[in-house]
Amino acid sequence: MASQPRLSVRGLTKRFGALVANDDVSLNVEPGELHCLLGENGAGKSTLSSCLYGLYQPDHGEIQVDGQPVHLRSPADALRAGIGMVHQHFVLVPGFTVLENIAVGTGSGWRFDRAAAKARVLAICQAYGIELEPDRAVGDLSVGGQQWVEIVKVLYTGARLLILDEPTAVLTPDESRKLFAVIERLKADGISILLISHKMAEVMQSDRVSVLRRGRLVGTVRTADVTRDDLTTMMIGQRIAPASRSSDGGGVGGAVLSVRGLSKERQGRRVLDDISFEVAQGEIFGIAGVSGNGQDDLFECLCGLAAPDEGSFSVAGAEVRASSPADVAALGVGYVPSDRFRDGLVGDLSIEENLVLGQHWSARWRRGPFLDRNGLEKNGRDAIAGYSIAATGPDAICRRLSGGNAQKVILAREFGKADRLLLCNQPTRGLDVGAIGFVHRELLRKRDEGCAIVLASEELDDLFALCSRIGVFFRGRLLKVLDRDRTSHDEIGRLMAGQESVVAA
Amino acid sequence: MTDFSIAEWRIERRREARPAARFIGLGAALAGAIIVCGMLFLAAGAEPLKAFASLAKGSFGSLRATGETLVKATPLIFTGLAACVAFRARIWNIGAEGQVFAGAMFAYWAQHNLGEFPALVQIPVVVMGGIAGGGLYAALAGLLKTRFSVDEVISTVMLNYIIVYVLSLLLLRGPWSEAGGFFEQTARVDRDATLPMLIAGTRLHMGFLLALAAAVLVHLILTRTPLGYEIRAAGSNLRALDVQGTNTRRLIIVVMLLSGALAGLAGVTEVYGVHYRLKAGAVAGYGYSGIIVAILGQLHPVGVVAAAILFGALLNGATLMQIETGVPSALIYAIQAILLLFFLAGWAMCNFRLRRTGRV
Repeated sequence: MASQPRLSVRGLTKRFGALVANDDVSLNVEPGELHCLLGENGAGKSTLSSCLYGLYQPDHGEIQVDGQPVHLRSPADALRAGIGMVHQHFVLVPGFTVLENIAVGTGSGWRFDRAAAKARVLAICQAYGIELEPDRAVGDLSVGGQQWVEIVKVLYTGARLLILDEPTAVLTPDESRKLFAVIERLKADGISILLISHKMAEVMQSDRVSVLRRGRLVGTVRTADVTRDDLTTMMIGQRIAPASRSSDGGGVGGAVLSVRGLSKERQGRRVLDDISFEVAQGEIFGIAGVSGNGQDDLFECLCGLAAPDEGSFSVAGAEVRASSPADVAALGVGYVPSDRFRDGLVGDLSIEENLVLGQHWSARWRRGPFLDRNGLEKNGRDAIAGYSIAATGPDAICRRLSGGNAQKVILAREFGKADRLLLCNQPTRGLDVGAIGFVHRELLRKRDEGCAIVLASEELDDLFALCSRIGVFFRGRLLKVLDRDRTSHDEIGRLMAGQESVVAA
Repeated sequence: MTDFSIAEWRIERRREARPAARFIGLGAALAGAIIVCGMLFLAAGAEPLKAFASLAKGSFGSLRATGETLVKATPLIFTGLAACVAFRARIWNIGAEGQVFAGAMFAYWAQHNLGEFPALVQIPVVVMGGIAGGGLYAALAGLLKTRFSVDEVISTVMLNYIIVYVLSLLLLRGPWSEAGGFFEQTARVDRDATLPMLIAGTRLHMGFLLALAAAVLVHLILTRTPLGYEIRAAGSNLRALDVQGTNTRRLIIVVMLLSGALAGLAGVTEVYGVHYRLKAGAVAGYGYSGIIVAILGQLHPVGVVAAAILFGALLNGATLMQIETGVPSALIYAIQAILLLFFLAGWAMCNFRLRRTGRV
């Protein structure tokens, strides 16, 4: 009994009504191991990690920590057992300092020994090479900085197993590298990490990988023994052709979208600063940047939801000024928003209803004063078949769809609308490999039909695979537009971090 | 999230409410409500079974009684539908009360100034007047919400107070007060303006048919038309509707117009179908009861009609119950509240379940 596994899950089953989210899952995480949890959207990764963190309770099965069976009824139980989790969405108090956020709720009794807490936080930071200033307000930190706070917060509680849910989704390539350096030091200290990630490059850095498919554990493998393709096959059950790097892709026609000097201020901050670019017919123009650097504001202006303070843009020669989303859509523009459940879908409506969102008054979907039910249903069936949406039928409620299938519903609707221009903000965010490949193929098909496409993505792989030119956003400015064939991941990564001077030099 | 735990038991949201669970939940709610009401009757010094019997007899025991139940249900159908339309869009119109007043007043104003015309002219005028008065008064709150971001809960409640006092002013010394009259009310309205009776020997009037027609219309609008689509979508995700090009400000105004128009018709049926004069007592209370009716009816037009008839029966049967068993008729309002609470609990049972946790 020299080396007990840090975490041992035995036959864990979790049902939600008829759906079996986790079916008899068993796995071990060793001390000091980086263990990756891989699976498509809806494969059961989140359910499993929620069970481990005490958010859900399994219907069957046992969880052991260091050989001791534990019964996790709440996150507090999990933390007591030494399991901590960093969520994709942070739970921090912006007005509090880093120290206060870390120490909140951990003290015993009434007194808060600030000096002792600070010393402990600094010790943790130093031990693992994390840079944090305990007295800064969390609201002033970058998203990456806030993630460090979350991680230190978990370590502060003495956790020996760290669950990280897609930690690099909000980080620059450089920050991601730093995270993995810290993970190495955590491992050396015997702390285990359970990493949920969709990014193959990260998965390959782990010690072992457990692959989930439709709630079941396909298997646990040593990462050194497998290739990316092997993992993908385990994950989706069949080999898929990697999305081809687009062959041509230079603009074939004239400019469809031309943006001139777009600027916007929000809460006294300049979120868009003199943005100008053009996108030609049949071209995919890429926008790189860490999220929160003005991309969302750009898209909201271009789709007509917000008015810019200065500047203008035109679509196919038609000037667009103070417009509504309906006016812009009428020009043949489709818009795939980054937050699909907030901006793209009405959760309580069905797939067939969501497919006509925004066009529900159009004569095409009406018979007299009523909506054309048969027409809607047929359109729904066509979209489900054409975009291989996994759903019980066109009348399935969108709220219950997984991220990938929800995105397909939006793509089906917006691709249909986009005769001239397609605006895509983070269309692959949170999607699994299979769905990403699908989105790539559809974008290329749309491009080949002559549509102009603006594509923002945090995944440089997306941009390099699809775009002819890539513009980099940093703090509301379009720092530079680069030719895909004459740039590198590194150069764009540096620009994303705002290191303009390095490049210029 | 919605999960919440006590000791070894845990409350979880069901992924899908099974029809059987629904049925059992509602049955249990009804049984629970009846038991508690029986205890109330006991406390009031009556035999519960006898009290229920006379309540039933008073509400459905004869043609006359049934007719009277439906008369009482009529305004509640309208105000229930008014709440139903607004709440479906997640617009919290608490102002049906004031919109009933506004509908009655606008109808009275139009009909009063019209002069003597045959019923074929006057009845459409009062109906249209009720729609316009209620609708416009509600749209005022909609305008405050869309132009100045005034929360509609606040504005509609405030508008309720305003219109009650405006009516009082008009009736007390104003142009509408009955000549030589002592009460705060208008003179009797022209016979040709009143809603025709449907069945001899009852007071059931055309307003009931209008209410049923309105329920069918609301159901069709909600389920089949682009407007209903927008209302349902707004109730789920207003922002997505906005992003995809719907003018949501206009939608809010339209929903308020529709909701207010339905409430306004309740004012018309009470003034021109029951009391034949305009006074606060003829129209007060239905707006607030309509909210309970709408929630009991699960924001579904058919449910609203059923709940309104149930409430009408309670109101109507209470009188006989008081005469026969001495249970005060005011206790009916307690029964209404008990029904609401038990049904809400019943739905919670349908949508959530209690599960024993622990190692299996």
